[in-house]
Amino acid sequence: MSSGDTKIAAARRGADKFEIDALIGYVLLSGVILSVVLVIAGLAWAWTRTGRLGVDYTIAHVNLFQFVVDDLREVFRGALRPRLLTSLGIAALMLTPYARVLASLLFFALVEHNWKYSLFTGFVLAVLTYTLFLR
Amino acid sequence: MAFHWLFLISIAAGFVGAMSGMGGGVVLIPALTLCGMGIKPAIAISMVSVIATSSGAASAYVRDRITNLKVGMFLEMFTILGAIVGAMVTLVSGQSLLFIAFGAVLLVSWSALFLQRHEQWHPVAHQDRFSQWLELEGSYYDQAAHETIEYRGARAYLGGPLMFVAGLIAGMLGIGAGALKVLIHDLVMGLPPKVSTTTSNLIIGVTALAGTSVYLAAGVIDPGLVAPVMLGILLGAYLGTKVLVRLSNQTIRGFFLAVLLVLGMEMLVRGIRGAL
Repeated sequence: MSSGDTKIAAARRGADKFEIDALIGYVLLSGVILSVVLVIAGLAWAWTRTGRLGVDYTIAHVNLFQFVVDDLREVFRGALRPRLLTSLGIAALMLTPYARVLASLLFFALVEHNWKYSLFTGFVLAVLTYTLFLR
Repeated sequence: MAFHWLFLISIAAGFVGAMSGMGGGVVLIPALTLCGMGIKPAIAISMVSVIATSSGAASAYVRDRITNLKVGMFLEMFTILGAIVGAMVTLVSGQSLLFIAFGAVLLVSWSALFLQRHEQWHPVAHQDRFSQWLELEGSYYDQAAHETIEYRGARAYLGGPLMFVAGLIAGMLGIGAGALKVLIHDLVMGLPPKVSTTTSNLIIGVTALAGTSVYLAAGVIDPGLVAPVMLGILLGAYLGTKVLVRLSNQTIRGFFLAVLLVLGMEMLVRGIRGAL
């Protein structure tokens, strides 16, 4: 490979790196912002309704997916309540690193065609998915 | 505990955590237990807020292109397994043991920060074959030095298992355990300081998620308490980093480190008293 080719390859690597870094940065940032907005909206709504800040409820022995699915089901049933917004905010927060790992997997598999790291990232994703289904 | 108290405590914890460089959990958990919350719920709530602060900070770092994604992904395989085991240990442990473990880890990370070496970073001279196979290398543009720094990571065969231990401590105590992760990156794997802090931040979020899932499944997480804590910690950490940029004063850092020393001793003493 001539030095020109090396430079082009390096520049291309740089471009790829930029894309994935930017993508991961935005995934993380939007996840946190979405979560904060949902939690604040839920709290504000609870406050206008009850005159109290805070939502009182506990959940026991559910996994994240049940938690989200139950919430969304109630939302679609038209039973949107302050605590549902807060729950969805917490769920959005938990899914933020998950989405980051998913984005990394797509990057290693589809952009870099790096099977070694696709496998590593796939392992992390599989373990995380398993724990999210724990109950 | 009242909403506004939780919120205020969390702002303070996020602020001190950011100013001292140790993260919000190490202040939040002692503070919550002092206000009467059980240590297990405090650990679980703190674990959720670690996801928030780590993701918030990582989103800024990653776009600076210093974070090494490959190093992060390789080590995350170990930290998530550690965090799951750690959270399960906490669920079956007695309260006193958790207090003692928390106090001990706080004091150890405290001394690591206090004795922070100001040595020059030495590039890895010889990269072992395993680390080479793992493609642990990279480069970043150092804005202070105005040059591109190229580096290689080494001893991944040791770094991986050690990161399992770091993940275990993080999952067990509901903290990021960033000081420990940075130590492994620096001393064992020979990564430049900037790469090790930013990459450790990326790893912390995923590790905290693994721990959080275990606590959620066990029913220890109360969403009504998570909401004020998460918002407070984020706000406090944001304010902390803003102030930190303006005052990079050693005395102020010293003051916050002193606060952490007191908290660590206090946790240790309560644990030992409880065990007797």
